[in-house]
Amino acid sequence: MVILSKKVLEAENVVFNYPDGTNALDGLSLSIEKGKKIAILGANGAGKSTLFLHFNGILKPKKGNIKFRGKKVSYKKKELKNLRKNIGIVFQDPDMQLFSSSVFQEISFGPLNLGLSETKTRERVDEAMQIMEITNIKDKPTHLLSYGQKKRISIADILAMKPEVIIFDEPTVWLDPKHSKEILGFINQINKKGTTVILSTHDVDLAYQWADYIYIFSDGKIIGEGNSEKIFRDNKLLKESDLIKPWIIEVYEKLIQNGKISSTVSVPKSKSELFELI
Amino acid sequence: MIDIDQYAYNNNFSSFHPLEKSFFALFTILITLTANSFMTSIIVISVISLMLITAAGIPFKFYLKLLFIPLSFLIIASITAVVSFSRELNNYFFYFELGGWFFGLESKSLNTAVLLFLKSFASICCLYFLTLTTPVLEIISVLRKFKLPEIVIELMMLIYRFIFVLLDTADLIRTSQLSRLGYSSIKKSFFSIAKLISNLFIRAYYRAQGLLTALVARGYDGKIRVLERKYSFSYKNIMIIILFETFLIIISIFGGGNFV
Repeated sequence: MVILSKKVLEAENVVFNYPDGTNALDGLSLSIEKGKKIAILGANGAGKSTLFLHFNGILKPKKGNIKFRGKKVSYKKKELKNLRKNIGIVFQDPDMQLFSSSVFQEISFGPLNLGLSETKTRERVDEAMQIMEITNIKDKPTHLLSYGQKKRISIADILAMKPEVIIFDEPTVWLDPKHSKEILGFINQINKKGTTVILSTHDVDLAYQWADYIYIFSDGKIIGEGNSEKIFRDNKLLKESDLIKPWIIEVYEKLIQNGKISSTVSVPKSKSELFELI
Repeated sequence: MIDIDQYAYNNNFSSFHPLEKSFFALFTILITLTANSFMTSIIVISVISLMLITAAGIPFKFYLKLLFIPLSFLIIASITAVVSFSRELNNYFFYFELGGWFFGLESKSLNTAVLLFLKSFASICCLYFLTLTTPVLEIISVLRKFKLPEIVIELMMLIYRFIFVLLDTADLIRTSQLSRLGYSSIKKSFFSIAKLISNLFIRAYYRAQGLLTALVARGYDGKIRVLERKYSFSYKNIMIIILFETFLIIISIFGGGNFV
């Protein structure tokens, strides 16, 4: 099976250390395919957020390269602008990202920076608010909104710029199950429309069920990559990366162990698939 | 302060054009201050108070509480303006003597003091009208229309947003200190509040860094460009404002006082 896929973002042996001496990225390489759902797992401080800032051109690698659409990023002003237009980051804490108390002002910032006209910007803002279902709160000040609502605004912020890739830094953290499901729904909807989505998370169950491809980070390096089945059935890798097994795989392996199902049965991808097996 | 902010977003006038509200408040202040008329001030106080309570939907009790804040200052200032003292007996209509000095009230200065009091009180009502019906954001947008320097506008926008972020942070720190008996004695309270403030500075710095990163990620290049929400003028409101201001001017000229 040969599928020619387009690589939209690549990191090649990227080395980066912060001024205080921490080695954030230690010769890291990976490539992101267009239109895919990529999950990045790893402990705090493994280098996930640092890599994201590299993808957006905010940090420049000490060694190695970042490639966008197969071309090395040269960090010229014009090119950086193009990179930031196409790679959007939804930061973990919306209170850190939102700078205006007005929802409309907030979302209009990105499109205006792209040099769009006022009419075009208004269109973009309205569209982004519609997708994120926040049109009803557009006249409210940010500080009177709930955390979940602020999270939606922070996503609309990026959507209004229509980037090719959207990076979500731990999008479901601090959200209750209901809201985190909602946010995930939005992310999937965005992906279905053709946007490549990269998401970092600590939630193995989420990563297992959601991702097309998974990278596991540890100390600024990639210690494992592959589709979710490959990653989460690799006991050695899980132990090394301090990750736990998704519960669906645990139940599946227990079923095989107890002889309830044969080991040739393929691994269930979701809760409902698992229930069908039982 | 936080309550005022909440009412500013949730009142029946919130959909009106901010320029209409600002002009109304500012012109009324201007007329009240220039007119030497008791009548004008009394009309302004009653009309604005009635508007706020009945039309805008600001709770009476809350409005009364707000009025009491400047009232104490006003009364003290008026008393000092009205009481005079001297060695000789002037034409006081009320006085008392204390160690060879006469302390008393002159009818002329009483007039001035009452007028001063009413004028200031009416102006305060106008300012309350603006702050209670117009969110800070809209006031900023009005200032933007008046071509205030961009840097001032940006600062106002950021400060307004981060007042609340910082308040939330301070609240969290205080709660965590309280839960560890951080305020159980006066000495501990001083220590805790000092820690809270210094911590807040560090957090503010950290937030500023994070914000800059997030802004740069969206193409920030030194200028914060944003679009304002669109408001439409209402001819009805403009007519009401013009009529009211004209009425005030006429009252000021003919009714009860000389217009300076």
